[in-house]
Amino acid sequence: MARISARTSEPGVVTTAPLPSPTSPEAPPRGWHRLSMSQKQVVWAWGFLALPILFYAGIRFYPTLDAFWLSLTDWNLLRPARFVGLENYARLVSDPQFWQVFNNTFAYLLIGTPTSIVIAFVIAYYLDRVRFMHGLIRALYFLPFLTTAAAMAWVWRWFYQPPPIGAINGFLATFGIPAQPFLRSTEQALPAIMVTAIWAGLGFQIIIFMAGLRAIPGTYYEAARIDGLGELAILRKITLPLLKPTTVFLVVLSSIGFLRIFDQVYNMTTNDPGGPLGSTKPLVLMIYQSAFSSYEMGYAAAQTVVLFSILLVVSLLQLWILRERT
Amino acid sequence: MATIELENIVKRFGSATVVHGLDLAIADGEFVALVGPSGCGKSTTLRMIAGLEDVSAGTLRIGGVVVNHHEPKRRNVAMVFQNYAIYPHLTVRENIAFGLYTSGLPKEKKAARVDEAARILGLEDLLDRRPAALSGGQRQRVAIGRAMVRNPSAFLFDEPLSNLDAQLRNQMRIEIKRLHQRIGATTVYVTHDQVEAMTMADRIVVMRDGRILQIGTPSDLYDAPADVFTARFIGTPAMNLLPASHGPDGLVVEGAAAPIRAPASAAGVARLLVGVRPQDLVCTDAGAGADPDVLTVTGTVTAVEPLGPETHVHLDTSGGPVIALAADRAAPPVGAPATALARTRALHLFDAASEQALGRAAEHA
Repeated sequence: MARISARTSEPGVVTTAPLPSPTSPEAPPRGWHRLSMSQKQVVWAWGFLALPILFYAGIRFYPTLDAFWLSLTDWNLLRPARFVGLENYARLVSDPQFWQVFNNTFAYLLIGTPTSIVIAFVIAYYLDRVRFMHGLIRALYFLPFLTTAAAMAWVWRWFYQPPPIGAINGFLATFGIPAQPFLRSTEQALPAIMVTAIWAGLGFQIIIFMAGLRAIPGTYYEAARIDGLGELAILRKITLPLLKPTTVFLVVLSSIGFLRIFDQVYNMTTNDPGGPLGSTKPLVLMIYQSAFSSYEMGYAAAQTVVLFSILLVVSLLQLWILRERT
Repeated sequence: MATIELENIVKRFGSATVVHGLDLAIADGEFVALVGPSGCGKSTTLRMIAGLEDVSAGTLRIGGVVVNHHEPKRRNVAMVFQNYAIYPHLTVRENIAFGLYTSGLPKEKKAARVDEAARILGLEDLLDRRPAALSGGQRQRVAIGRAMVRNPSAFLFDEPLSNLDAQLRNQMRIEIKRLHQRIGATTVYVTHDQVEAMTMADRIVVMRDGRILQIGTPSDLYDAPADVFTARFIGTPAMNLLPASHGPDGLVVEGAAAPIRAPASAAGVARLLVGVRPQDLVCTDAGAGADPDVLTVTGTVTAVEPLGPETHVHLDTSGGPVIALAADRAAPPVGAPATALARTRALHLFDAASEQALGRAAEHA
């Protein structure tokens, strides 16, 4: 009877209790064996999940929540934190540097994401049809993704140098185009860095797009060809709609990437991080400088909260806009 | 509506030739089934007709026009695929209307055509659904609808029922057949299932290894198969084959109790195969007779399969395994010896070396 009651103690869970063993028909199962099969599965699952959950709670979730609290204090590493209310936020709103950084961050997002998605799709679309040296070409596109940002940034830095050192200016000079200041200019620095960032992420996006393209059954295209559709109509009516889940994934990922851009900027403008007059400085770099150059932890935390909110809103907005309509 | 003519059609993929010079003329409004085991080139042939594959050599005409180099859309054919190829992001209505995408018809006319097709196929209530909410049979009907709305000169079906379960397959088979009778469009239907070919087609083309073995009506193929492959491929269960050779008293068939009268067509062929369909070979309680016009097969019963209308008795004979019918469903027990009889006029004779048919064994008066 004990087994029966243990079995029925959890309604809604389909369980199968072991049949009484013929050798010991009277002995009720004890301990671990009292649990039904599905209960055992739950115990195992939580057993394996426990460690990562504790780890994440300790080093991810707790600091994130703590940042909200810190943003309301004037902590500077030396003195104990003192509650100052919304003072940090008020300072942020009236800081012209913050608005410059805010604009830069959105420039990275609004130009970088669409540009990189379109370029990646076009390359993936055509690379998908190339049979000749397909693997090699794909590897070449993917290579930047494997390279450290610091190394890449330094190579690009060299590209952007003024003549006679810089490769791009050298190339422009052969066509008689005057030397461009690139990273030294308040107008060109941000696009120059953006090109590097787009190039760095392209390999990953191409691979994902190609996987998405491969997943579309070939008969869809054949059926469309028989129905008389041209290449463009097939692209517009079949390929792009069916590729939407892939596109949503990449847009969200790429947006988060551009909103959090840091290493490209930091490495390409080390002597003056953030470029001339902060023209390339993104929010993450400003947080970094507030926290680890000025040691204004409370102020940095307030900026972090703002970044967090932006990321949250942008991601939710994109998921909502690109949601699956059924 | 159009005729389709294949003249010495060849398909090569690199150095491999998968279709070796097919000749086939399909009449206007005819329903032709290409049937054969996988890899026999039937789907490749269909795809060449559709324009999805280039023709390596030969001439392909649709409606009298050479279309070797025409894009699929210029051939005005419609195709239904095994995996339906209906678009998951479009509703049933949009999927069917997709067939009219390039038609340039005004909106109302398109809608009218879609409604008409939906009515014929019984899809009216499903028009606003997405394919994910449809059953396999309904999806295939949508695919047929998309093909129908265009009024194509020919319908091409590439194993359209292979993904459906047995019951649905029988039902769709009848629906496609009715549809063909109603629309009367030239139809080429590829299948590996001889039952589909037999039940639906006006003429069947049996293919193997990229070659046509035989072309004929279902009854032609059943009654007069040209070779051993066709004989065994058409009809279920497959035709029994027993080795035979000439003896002093007639044709000695392995597994048979007594020699049978050697037909004229068997003269001059040393080693033969005698074919008998299970439906022509019936178990009997009577002992072996000496009638030279009756083939008497003796063996041990290894299995009995009651199917309802008939019962198959598997026999192990000295000439190999044989399937016979139980008389009046009274099957002998497994392990017991059994005797089965067939009239010699029901026998098919083949040359054992070339596997070509020698014709039916005529009964002597």
